Amino acid sequence: MITEIIIYLGLALIGLGAVADLIASIGMHRFKNFYLRLHATTVGTIWGAVFPIIGASIIAFVYEPLGQYRYLMGGAGLITALIIMLLAPAGSHALARAIHKAGIAKVVPCVHDELNPEMCGEK
Amino acid sequence: MDLVQSVILVFLPLYLTAIILYLIRAIKGPTIGDQVLAIDSMTYDLAALLIILGLFFKEPILIVTAIPLALWIYSLDIYIAKYLDRGEMGG
Repeated sequence: MITEIIIYLGLALIGLGAVADLIASIGMHRFKNFYLRLHATTVGTIWGAVFPIIGASIIAFVYEPLGQYRYLMGGAGLITALIIMLLAPAGSHALARAIHKAGIAKVVPCVHDELNPEMCGEK
Repeated sequence: MDLVQSVILVFLPLYLTAIILYLIRAIKGPTIGDQVLAIDSMTYDLAALLIILGLFFKEPILIVTAIPLALWIYSLDIYIAKYLDRGEMGG
């Protein structure tokens, strides 16, 4: 009973991750500039990678055909999800700050840029 | 083929389509920032896909490959950011 609930929950998380991943990859092509594409990356990272990994890990805890190593797979999967959840925002933040500071990607469309008004492209 | 395998088989094409779309953006991205972002997303997806394939093929040892992938892509982010910031690598 509890095993089936956990398996259905994990499969639902994997499906949610697949759909969110597809939406994020479409957004990667439809958004206009680098700073907007950062949003698509975040959707694809947290919804598209962390949640499916958590789903696969909780399935692995109760999935008999994996054999005696299933606890290793579940535990290491949860650690991977934690690592991605902590490191992905930090990396994206550092990258966005460096790109803006180096003046590589202009902010288009722009309302107001307080950090560096010259980076503001057309409205 | 049991329930877990058949459901995973339904969702695998979505992940593969997403990875191909990210790859297109990584190849043609107008600035280096877009390319790094696309490679970021692609690699995190690949880590998730490897764990899901570990369930699909019933091979728990595939989990070992996912943690270095996540750490490697973070180091790529930090190195590119540091190079753009100060014009130097490492240190």
